[in-house]
Amino acid sequence: MKNRFLMIAVAALISSSSFGQKYFTKTGKINFDATTASSPEKIEGINRTATCVVDTKTGNLQFALLMKGFEFERALMEEHFNENYVESHKFPKAEFKGVISNNEAVNYSKDGTYSVKVKGKLTMHGETKDVETDGKLVIQNGKITATADFNVLLADFKVSIPGLVADKVAKTAKISVTCSLEPLKG
Amino acid sequence: MKRKKKIILYVILSVLVIAGAAAIYIYKEYNRAHKDTAKLKADYTVNATDFINEFSGNEQAANKKYWDKIIHVDGLVKSVDKDDRGFYSIIIGDTASVSSVRCSLDSIHNNEAATVKPGNLIGIKGICSGFNADELLGSDVILVRCVIDPKK
Repeated sequence: MKNRFLMIAVAALISSSSFGQKYFTKTGKINFDATTASSPEKIEGINRTATCVVDTKTGNLQFALLMKGFEFERALMEEHFNENYVESHKFPKAEFKGVISNNEAVNYSKDGTYSVKVKGKLTMHGETKDVETDGKLVIQNGKITATADFNVLLADFKVSIPGLVADKVAKTAKISVTCSLEPLKG
Repeated sequence: MKRKKKIILYVILSVLVIAGAAAIYIYKEYNRAHKDTAKLKADYTVNATDFINEFSGNEQAANKKYWDKIIHVDGLVKSVDKDDRGFYSIIIGDTASVSSVRCSLDSIHNNEAATVKPGNLIGIKGICSGFNADELLGSDVILVRCVIDPKK
Protein backbone atom coordinates (compact mmCIF):
# COMPACT_ATOMS: atom_id res chain seq x y z
CA MET A 1 0.00 0.00 0.00
CA LYS A 2 2.74 2.38 0.94
CA ASN A 3 4.63 1.36 -2.17
CA ARG A 4 1.74 2.10 -4.41
CA PHE A 5 1.37 5.49 -2.83
CA LEU A 6 5.01 6.23 -3.51
CA MET A 7 4.65 5.12 -7.10
CA ILE A 8 1.75 7.45 -7.65
CA ALA A 9 3.66 10.29 -6.07
CA VAL A 10 6.69 9.61 -8.28
CA ALA A 11 4.51 9.32 -11.37
CA ALA A 12 2.86 12.61 -10.53
CA LEU A 13 6.24 14.25 -10.06
CA ILE A 14 7.56 12.96 -13.38
CA SER A 15 4.51 14.04 -15.27
CA SER A 16 4.49 17.48 -13.70
CA SER A 17 8.16 18.03 -14.48
CA SER A 18 7.67 17.00 -18.10
CA PHE A 19 4.75 19.42 -18.30
CA GLY A 20 7.03 22.16 -17.09
CA GLN A 21 9.12 21.81 -20.22
CA LYS A 22 6.31 22.69 -22.52
CA TYR A 23 5.40 26.18 -23.59
CA PHE A 24 2.24 27.12 -25.37
CA THR A 25 0.01 29.83 -26.71
CA LYS A 26 -3.50 29.98 -28.09
CA THR A 27 -3.10 33.44 -29.55
CA GLY A 28 -0.31 32.81 -32.03
CA LYS A 29 -0.31 35.19 -34.96
CA ILE A 30 0.13 33.89 -38.47
CA ASN A 31 0.31 36.43 -41.23
CA PHE A 32 -0.39 35.43 -44.82
CA ASP A 33 0.87 37.72 -47.56
CA ALA A 34 0.48 37.00 -51.27
CA THR A 35 1.13 40.53 -52.51
CA THR A 36 3.27 40.91 -55.63
CA ALA A 37 4.76 43.97 -57.28
CA SER A 38 1.87 43.98 -59.74
CA SER A 39 -0.87 43.59 -57.13
CA PRO A 40 -3.17 46.60 -57.05
CA GLU A 41 -3.34 46.35 -53.26
CA LYS A 42 -2.12 44.36 -50.31
CA ILE A 43 -3.25 40.73 -50.32
CA GLU A 44 -2.79 40.04 -46.68
CA GLY A 45 -4.66 38.18 -43.97
CA ILE A 46 -3.94 37.60 -40.32
CA ASN A 47 -4.96 34.79 -38.02
CA ARG A 48 -4.66 35.62 -34.31
CA THR A 49 -5.92 32.36 -32.90
CA ALA A 50 -3.26 29.83 -33.79
CA THR A 51 -2.29 27.36 -31.10
CA CYS A 52 1.33 26.46 -30.67
CA VAL A 53 3.14 24.07 -28.34
CA VAL A 54 6.91 23.82 -27.96
CA ASP A 55 8.61 21.05 -26.02
CA THR A 56 11.86 22.59 -24.87
CA LYS A 57 13.38 19.21 -24.04
CA THR A 58 12.99 17.63 -27.46
CA GLY A 59 12.62 20.76 -29.56
CA ASN A 60 9.36 19.45 -30.98
CA LEU A 61 6.90 22.10 -31.96
CA GLN A 62 3.41 22.11 -33.32
CA PHE A 63 1.05 24.69 -34.74
CA ALA A 64 -2.63 24.43 -35.53
CA LEU A 65 -5.03 27.01 -36.86
CA LEU A 66 -8.44 27.40 -38.43
CA MET A 67 -8.38 28.66 -42.01
CA LYS A 68 -11.60 30.57 -41.42
CA GLY A 69 -9.81 32.47 -38.69
CA PHE A 70 -7.87 34.55 -41.24
CA GLU A 71 -9.07 38.12 -41.29
CA PHE A 72 -8.63 40.26 -44.40
CA GLU A 73 -9.30 43.95 -44.62
CA ARG A 74 -11.60 43.58 -47.60
CA ALA A 75 -14.65 41.38 -47.13
CA LEU A 76 -14.57 40.21 -50.74
CA MET A 77 -10.93 39.16 -50.48
CA GLU A 78 -11.68 37.14 -47.35
CA GLU A 79 -14.58 35.39 -49.09
CA HIS A 80 -12.44 34.58 -52.11
CA PHE A 81 -9.65 33.32 -49.89
CA ASN A 82 -12.00 30.94 -48.08
CA GLU A 83 -14.24 29.89 -50.93
CA ASN A 84 -12.04 29.78 -54.02
CA TYR A 85 -8.44 29.49 -52.88
CA VAL A 86 -8.01 27.47 -49.69
CA GLU A 87 -11.55 26.01 -49.66
CA SER A 88 -11.80 26.23 -45.90
CA HIS A 89 -15.15 24.44 -45.77
CA LYS A 90 -13.38 21.34 -47.14
CA PHE A 91 -10.07 21.83 -45.38
CA PRO A 92 -10.85 23.80 -42.22
CA LYS A 93 -7.49 23.36 -40.52
CA ALA A 94 -3.85 23.92 -41.21
CA GLU A 95 -1.10 22.50 -39.07
CA PHE A 96 2.62 22.34 -38.80
CA LYS A 97 4.52 19.61 -37.00
CA GLY A 98 8.22 20.04 -36.73
CA VAL A 99 11.32 20.18 -34.67
CA ILE A 100 13.92 22.77 -33.74
CA SER A 101 16.93 21.03 -35.28
CA ASN A 102 19.51 22.96 -33.26
CA ASN A 103 17.56 22.77 -30.00
CA GLU A 104 20.73 22.09 -27.97
CA ALA A 105 21.93 25.60 -28.87
CA VAL A 106 19.06 27.15 -26.91
CA ASN A 107 19.33 27.64 -23.18
CA TYR A 108 15.71 27.97 -22.16
CA SER A 109 16.59 28.96 -18.62
CA LYS A 110 18.71 31.90 -19.68
CA ASP A 111 17.34 35.16 -21.09
CA GLY A 112 18.55 35.93 -24.54
CA THR A 113 17.94 35.79 -28.26
CA TYR A 114 18.59 32.53 -30.04
CA SER A 115 18.57 31.74 -33.74
CA VAL A 116 16.93 28.44 -34.50
CA LYS A 117 16.42 26.20 -37.47
CA VAL A 118 13.00 24.64 -37.80
CA LYS A 119 12.16 21.70 -39.97
CA GLY A 120 8.85 19.96 -40.37
CA LYS A 121 5.71 19.26 -42.27
CA LEU A 122 3.06 21.81 -43.12
CA THR A 123 -0.44 20.60 -43.91
CA MET A 124 -2.81 22.98 -45.63
CA HIS A 125 -5.58 22.58 -48.21
CA GLY A 126 -5.28 18.80 -47.72
CA GLU A 127 -1.64 18.69 -48.86
CA THR A 128 1.41 18.04 -46.72
CA LYS A 129 4.81 19.42 -47.64
CA ASP A 130 8.21 19.72 -45.99
CA VAL A 131 9.05 23.18 -44.78
CA GLU A 132 12.36 24.44 -43.48
CA THR A 133 13.00 27.87 -42.07
CA ASP A 134 15.10 30.00 -39.78
CA GLY A 135 13.45 31.44 -36.75
CA LYS A 136 14.21 33.40 -33.64
CA LEU A 137 13.47 32.66 -30.01
CA VAL A 138 13.62 35.45 -27.48
CA ILE A 139 13.63 34.18 -23.94
CA GLN A 140 12.76 36.70 -21.28
CA ASN A 141 11.41 36.25 -17.75
CA GLY A 142 10.36 32.65 -18.32
CA LYS A 143 8.45 33.44 -21.51
CA ILE A 144 9.39 32.73 -25.09
CA THR A 145 8.66 34.91 -28.06
CA ALA A 146 9.03 32.92 -31.24
CA THR A 147 9.16 34.47 -34.69
CA ALA A 148 9.75 33.02 -38.13
CA ASP A 149 9.17 33.92 -41.76
CA PHE A 150 8.96 31.48 -44.61
CA ASN A 151 7.57 31.18 -48.09
CA VAL A 152 5.21 28.57 -49.39
CA LEU A 153 4.66 27.85 -53.05
CA LEU A 154 0.87 27.88 -53.39
CA ALA A 155 0.99 25.33 -56.21
CA ASP A 156 2.65 22.89 -53.75
CA PHE A 157 -0.57 22.94 -51.77
CA LYS A 158 -2.75 22.73 -54.87
CA VAL A 159 -4.07 26.24 -54.33
CA SER A 160 -4.86 27.36 -57.85
CA ILE A 161 -5.03 30.98 -58.91
CA PRO A 162 -7.49 31.80 -61.70
CA GLY A 163 -5.82 32.98 -64.94
CA LEU A 164 -7.59 36.31 -64.78
CA VAL A 165 -5.76 37.38 -61.63
CA ALA A 166 -2.66 35.19 -62.06
CA ASP A 167 -0.31 38.16 -62.26
CA LYS A 168 -1.99 39.99 -59.37
CA VAL A 169 -1.52 37.26 -56.78
CA ALA A 170 1.91 35.99 -55.78
CA LYS A 171 2.73 32.38 -56.58
CA THR A 172 4.50 32.09 -53.26
CA ALA A 173 2.88 33.36 -50.10
CA LYS A 174 4.97 34.77 -47.32
CA ILE A 175 3.99 33.36 -43.95
CA SER A 176 5.09 35.22 -40.82
CA VAL A 177 4.70 33.67 -37.42
CA THR A 178 4.74 35.50 -34.08
CA CYS A 179 3.98 33.64 -30.87
CA SER A 180 4.35 34.58 -27.21
CA LEU A 181 4.62 31.29 -25.41
CA GLU A 182 3.98 30.69 -21.75
CA PRO A 183 4.90 27.68 -19.64
CA LEU A 184 2.25 24.99 -19.62
CA LYS A 185 1.19 24.07 -16.13
CA GLY A 186 0.15 20.49 -15.52
CA MET B 1 -34.97 57.39 -90.62
CA LYS B 2 -35.83 59.47 -87.64
CA ARG B 3 -37.25 56.44 -85.88
CA LYS B 4 -34.12 54.39 -86.52
CA LYS B 5 -31.97 57.11 -85.00
CA LYS B 6 -34.18 57.21 -81.97
CA ILE B 7 -33.84 53.45 -81.46
CA ILE B 8 -30.07 53.60 -81.77
CA LEU B 9 -29.98 56.41 -79.25
CA TYR B 10 -32.08 54.41 -76.79
CA VAL B 11 -29.88 51.34 -77.24
CA ILE B 12 -26.70 53.34 -76.59
CA LEU B 13 -28.25 55.04 -73.59
CA SER B 14 -29.40 51.76 -72.01
CA VAL B 15 -26.02 50.14 -72.61
CA LEU B 16 -24.37 53.11 -70.89
CA VAL B 17 -26.75 52.89 -67.94
CA ILE B 18 -26.13 49.16 -67.55
CA ALA B 19 -22.35 49.59 -67.84
CA GLY B 20 -22.50 52.38 -65.29
CA ALA B 21 -24.54 50.29 -62.87
CA ALA B 22 -22.14 47.37 -63.32
CA ALA B 23 -19.15 49.62 -62.68
CA ILE B 24 -20.72 51.01 -59.51
CA TYR B 25 -21.59 47.50 -58.36
CA ILE B 26 -18.07 46.16 -59.00
CA TYR B 27 -16.50 49.17 -57.32
CA LYS B 28 -18.73 48.81 -54.26
CA GLU B 29 -18.24 45.06 -54.05
CA TYR B 30 -14.48 45.41 -54.40
CA ASN B 31 -14.29 47.99 -51.63
CA ARG B 32 -16.83 46.30 -49.40
CA ALA B 33 -15.75 46.46 -45.78
CA HIS B 34 -16.71 43.95 -43.16
CA LYS B 35 -19.95 44.80 -41.48
CA ASP B 36 -19.76 45.83 -37.88
CA THR B 37 -20.89 42.73 -35.97
CA ALA B 38 -22.67 44.99 -33.48
CA LYS B 39 -25.13 45.92 -36.23
CA LEU B 40 -25.83 42.34 -37.28
CA LYS B 41 -28.53 40.13 -35.88
CA ALA B 42 -27.38 36.91 -34.24
CA ASP B 43 -28.28 33.72 -36.10
CA TYR B 44 -27.96 31.65 -32.93
CA THR B 45 -27.98 32.43 -29.23
CA VAL B 46 -26.16 29.85 -27.13
CA ASN B 47 -24.54 29.46 -23.75
CA ALA B 48 -20.81 28.79 -23.75
CA THR B 49 -20.84 25.31 -22.21
CA ASP B 50 -23.55 23.93 -24.52
CA PHE B 51 -21.83 25.52 -27.46
CA ILE B 52 -18.51 23.81 -26.66
CA ASN B 53 -20.27 20.49 -26.02
CA GLU B 54 -22.00 20.66 -29.34
CA PHE B 55 -18.64 21.00 -31.07
CA SER B 56 -16.86 18.33 -29.03
CA GLY B 57 -19.81 15.97 -29.54
CA ASN B 58 -19.93 16.25 -33.32
CA GLU B 59 -17.53 18.73 -34.81
CA GLN B 60 -18.61 18.25 -38.41
CA ALA B 61 -22.28 18.76 -37.72
CA ALA B 62 -21.53 21.79 -35.55
CA ASN B 63 -19.24 23.24 -38.22
CA LYS B 64 -22.00 22.93 -40.79
CA LYS B 65 -24.46 24.59 -38.48
CA TYR B 66 -22.34 27.44 -37.15
CA TRP B 67 -19.60 28.26 -39.71
CA ASP B 68 -19.63 31.92 -40.73
CA LYS B 69 -22.81 32.42 -38.72
CA ILE B 70 -23.28 35.19 -36.21
CA ILE B 71 -23.40 33.72 -32.74
CA HIS B 72 -24.37 35.33 -29.47
CA VAL B 73 -22.66 33.47 -26.63
CA ASP B 74 -23.45 33.91 -22.94
CA GLY B 75 -21.00 32.76 -20.32
CA LEU B 76 -18.48 33.49 -17.63
CA VAL B 77 -15.33 35.39 -18.50
CA LYS B 78 -12.30 33.18 -17.76
CA SER B 79 -9.72 35.68 -18.86
CA VAL B 80 -9.12 38.74 -20.97
CA ASP B 81 -5.96 38.81 -23.07
CA LYS B 82 -4.49 41.87 -24.65
CA ASP B 83 -1.68 41.26 -27.08
CA ASP B 84 1.32 43.43 -27.90
CA ARG B 85 -0.56 45.09 -30.75
CA GLY B 86 -3.52 45.98 -28.57
CA PHE B 87 -5.93 43.32 -29.78
CA TYR B 88 -8.21 41.82 -27.19
CA SER B 89 -9.46 38.29 -26.87
CA ILE B 90 -12.04 37.35 -24.29
CA ILE B 91 -12.10 33.74 -23.17
CA ILE B 92 -15.40 32.49 -21.85
CA GLY B 93 -16.46 29.15 -20.46
CA ASP B 94 -16.49 27.00 -17.37
CA THR B 95 -13.44 27.72 -15.20
CA ALA B 96 -13.27 24.03 -14.23
CA SER B 97 -12.81 23.00 -17.86
CA VAL B 98 -9.82 23.63 -20.12
CA SER B 99 -12.10 24.17 -23.09
CA SER B 100 -13.44 27.62 -23.87
CA VAL B 101 -15.00 29.89 -26.40
CA ARG B 102 -12.24 32.23 -27.56
CA CYS B 103 -13.50 35.52 -28.88
CA SER B 104 -11.19 37.79 -30.86
CA LEU B 105 -12.56 41.28 -30.44
CA ASP B 106 -13.04 43.63 -33.34
CA SER B 107 -10.52 46.40 -32.67
CA ILE B 108 -13.08 49.13 -33.29
CA HIS B 109 -14.74 47.90 -30.10
CA ASN B 110 -11.61 47.91 -27.95
CA ASN B 111 -13.04 50.50 -25.54
CA GLU B 112 -15.79 48.14 -24.47
CA ALA B 113 -13.37 45.22 -24.16
CA ALA B 114 -11.15 47.16 -21.78
CA THR B 115 -13.88 47.18 -19.14
CA VAL B 116 -14.40 43.40 -19.09
CA LYS B 117 -13.03 41.56 -16.04
CA PRO B 118 -12.59 37.86 -15.35
CA GLY B 119 -15.55 36.50 -13.45
CA ASN B 120 -18.04 38.75 -15.22
CA LEU B 121 -21.06 37.24 -16.83
CA ILE B 122 -21.03 38.39 -20.40
CA GLY B 123 -22.77 38.20 -23.74
CA ILE B 124 -20.57 38.33 -26.83
CA LYS B 125 -21.52 38.34 -30.46
CA GLY B 126 -19.11 37.12 -33.12
CA ILE B 127 -18.61 35.13 -36.28
CA CYS B 128 -17.82 31.47 -35.81
CA SER B 129 -14.71 30.17 -37.54
CA GLY B 130 -14.79 26.67 -36.08
CA PHE B 131 -13.34 24.39 -33.45
CA ASN B 132 -9.68 24.04 -32.55
CA ALA B 133 -9.48 20.62 -30.92
CA ASP B 134 -6.46 19.97 -28.73
CA GLU B 135 -6.26 17.32 -26.06
CA LEU B 136 -3.33 18.85 -24.28
CA LEU B 137 -4.37 22.50 -24.31
CA GLY B 138 -8.12 22.10 -24.29
CA SER B 139 -10.40 22.50 -27.27
CA ASP B 140 -11.78 25.88 -28.19
CA VAL B 141 -14.55 27.25 -30.31
CA ILE B 142 -13.23 30.32 -32.11
CA LEU B 143 -15.24 33.44 -32.76
CA VAL B 144 -13.79 36.37 -34.69
CA ARG B 145 -14.81 40.03 -35.12
CA CYS B 146 -16.53 39.90 -31.77
CA VAL B 147 -18.35 42.66 -29.96
CA ILE B 148 -19.70 42.84 -26.46
CA ASP B 149 -23.41 42.27 -26.78
CA PRO B 150 -25.33 42.98 -23.58
CA LYS B 151 -28.72 41.38 -23.27
CA LYS B 152 -31.53 43.79 -23.93
